[in-house]
Amino acid sequence: MNNFQSFRRLLVSATMVSATIVLACLVSLPSYAQVELNISGAEVRGIPIAIVPFKVLDGSVLEHQINEVVAFDLAASGKFEPIAAKNYLSNPSRDEEVQSKDWRFIDAEVLVIGEVWTLGPDQYEVQFQMYDVAREQFIGNGKRISGLSMRDLRMAAHVISDNVYQAFTGGAAAFQSRMAYVSRTEVEYQRFRYRLMVADWDGFGAREVYASWNPLLSPDWSPDGQKLAFVGFNDKGSIVKVVDLTTFVDQTIADFRGVNSAPAWSPDGSKIAYSSSQHGSPDIFIYDVLTRQHTRISSHYGIDTEPSWSPRGESFLFTSSRTGKPQIYSYSVNDESVSRMTFEGDESANASYNPDGSKILMVHEGGQIAVMDGETSRLTMLTNAKFDESPSFSPNGDMVLYKTEQQYEPALVVASADGRVRTRLSLVSGDVREPAWSPLRK
Amino acid sequence: MNRKLGLIMTVLMGLVLTACASKPKPVVNTESTKPVVTETATIDRNAFGSGYTVSDLASKFGINGDPLNYKVLYFEYNSSAIDERSRIIAKRHAEFLGEKGGLRVNLEGHADERGTRDFNLALGERRAQTVAQLMNAAGASSTIETISYGEERPVDAAHTEAAWKANRRVEIKY
Repeated sequence: MNNFQSFRRLLVSATMVSATIVLACLVSLPSYAQVELNISGAEVRGIPIAIVPFKVLDGSVLEHQINEVVAFDLAASGKFEPIAAKNYLSNPSRDEEVQSKDWRFIDAEVLVIGEVWTLGPDQYEVQFQMYDVAREQFIGNGKRISGLSMRDLRMAAHVISDNVYQAFTGGAAAFQSRMAYVSRTEVEYQRFRYRLMVADWDGFGAREVYASWNPLLSPDWSPDGQKLAFVGFNDKGSIVKVVDLTTFVDQTIADFRGVNSAPAWSPDGSKIAYSSSQHGSPDIFIYDVLTRQHTRISSHYGIDTEPSWSPRGESFLFTSSRTGKPQIYSYSVNDESVSRMTFEGDESANASYNPDGSKILMVHEGGQIAVMDGETSRLTMLTNAKFDESPSFSPNGDMVLYKTEQQYEPALVVASADGRVRTRLSLVSGDVREPAWSPLRK
Repeated sequence: MNRKLGLIMTVLMGLVLTACASKPKPVVNTESTKPVVTETATIDRNAFGSGYTVSDLASKFGINGDPLNYKVLYFEYNSSAIDERSRIIAKRHAEFLGEKGGLRVNLEGHADERGTRDFNLALGERRAQTVAQLMNAAGASSTIETISYGEERPVDAAHTEAAWKANRRVEIKY
C-alpha cells in the first residue's frame, strides 16, 4: 500500500508539471457517456489512463465492453482521464505483451489490460492486470474474477474499476454501489404511474421495486442496503413507507394526519427520522424500527423537515423555516440543542453529510447544488443551475449524484465532489427524479 | 340562483364594456331573451359580504360576480400568507358552507417547483391550513380536510414565472 501511495504522489506531482499534454480529443468514452469538463480548475487533472479493450478469447460477442465500463467509471470520478483506445499503439492483453514506450508515447500513466475467457454456456472468467507506466512495473499479480454470467460481466468491470481506483488514489471505491430513483410515466392523459427504481450506480439494470398511481418521492437507503424508505400517498395525504429490496414487501410506518415525509435512516439502522405535521406544524419525529414507537423531536411553529443523520448518528441536519426562509440546522441527540448551520444566501435545504462528516451537501437558493466545508463553513457551488435537486454523496464521498434539467429534459448527473467533472447517466432516461446513492454492499 | 347571478354578471359586464368602448355598441345577448333587470345593477357597497363594490371586486381582484365561482387561491413564493383576493373568496365560501351546513370540504395545497420536494409538501399543507383556519373562523361549520401535494401536481409544468404563479395554490373542493 505504501508503494501505491508514494506512486500516487509521484503521479500527482507529474500531473501538476505537465500542463496540457493530453488533449481533449484524446479523451474518449463510450457512446452513452456525456462527460463535461469544467476547465476552470485546469491545473488539477485526472490521471491519464489507458484501458485496452479486453481480449475475448473465443470470439464471443459481449453485450458490454469491459474497457468502456471501466473508462466510464474512472472518468466520472474525476480522478482519472481515460485515453481513447484509437490512440493506442498496441493492444496487449497479457503482461509479456506490454511495451512501456507505447504508453509513455501517448502519455498514459496507468495501463489496464485483460482477457475474457468463456468457460461454458453463459459462463465467463475475467482476468486483468494494472501497470504503472513510469515505473515500468505491474501492480501486484494479475487478478481473476470467475463464475460470471454475461450479465455479471458488467459488475466484473465495476470490480476492476474499484481495484484501479483503490490502487492509484489510495481511497475507497464505490463503483459496485447502486442508486434508487423515481420514474414517472404518463400512461394516459394526465394519469401518471410512479415507479421506485433501483439500478447500478451508472444507471444500468434498473428494476422496479415499488409502484403507485400517486406521487413517490424521497427514497432513502437503509445502511445495510436492503431496504428503501420513501414517501407515497394515500387518499388523506403523504405517508412514509419502507420496501424490502429482496422480498418487495412494503410497510407503512407513518400515516398520521397531515404531511408525513422525508424519511432518513440512522447510521445503525435502528431509527428512521422523518417530518410529520400530525400536531399541526411539520416537526421532526424519530421512529424506532424495533419498538415501532414514534418520538417527537422538534416542536416549532416553522416548517421542520428533511432530517439527515451525521455519519456517527450523534446528530442530524434538518431544514427549517423558523427564521422565515428555509435554512439548515443541526440537532444534537445528546444535549437536544439546535444550532443553525447555514447563513449564506436566501435558502438552503435538503442537506446531508459526506461519509467522514467533513462536508455538507445541500440545495442552495432553491435549485443549485452546493457543498459546505464543515470546518470553515465555506460554501462552494457544485452546479450553477436553477432546477438541480436531490443531491447525494457516493458512499466514498468522492462523487455527487443529483437531478438536473438538460434542454427541458430531466436527467440524472454524477459530478466529482470537486465539481470539475460532470457525467450524465444516459442509461436512465425519461421523466426521472429523486436519485439517491446507496451505501456500499455489505 | 346561479342562473340569476349569471344574468346579473352578464349585464354588469355588458355595462362595463359599454362604458369603456369609445363607440358604444348595442349589447346583444343571444343566450337570453329575458328583460334586463336594471335595478340590481345599482352599485352594491358590500357585494357578497366582501366589503367591496362589485366593480371593486372586478378591478382590484379580478373577481367577476360572486366570489363563490372562484375555487383556487394563489400565494406568493415561499409564503402561506393569504392576500385580500383569497380572503374574499375563502370567506364567501365559508359563509356559503355555513348556510348549507354539513358539507365536506377538501382543501388541496400546492407549491411551485422551486425549493425541495419535501419542503414544498410542508409548504402546500401550510397554505391549505391557513385557508382552513380562515374558513373556520368565518363560520364554515363544515368538516374541512387539508391535503398537500407539494410540487407534485402542477397545473402548468413550464419553468416560467406565470407557471409558478399558477401552481402556488390552494384548491377548494366540495
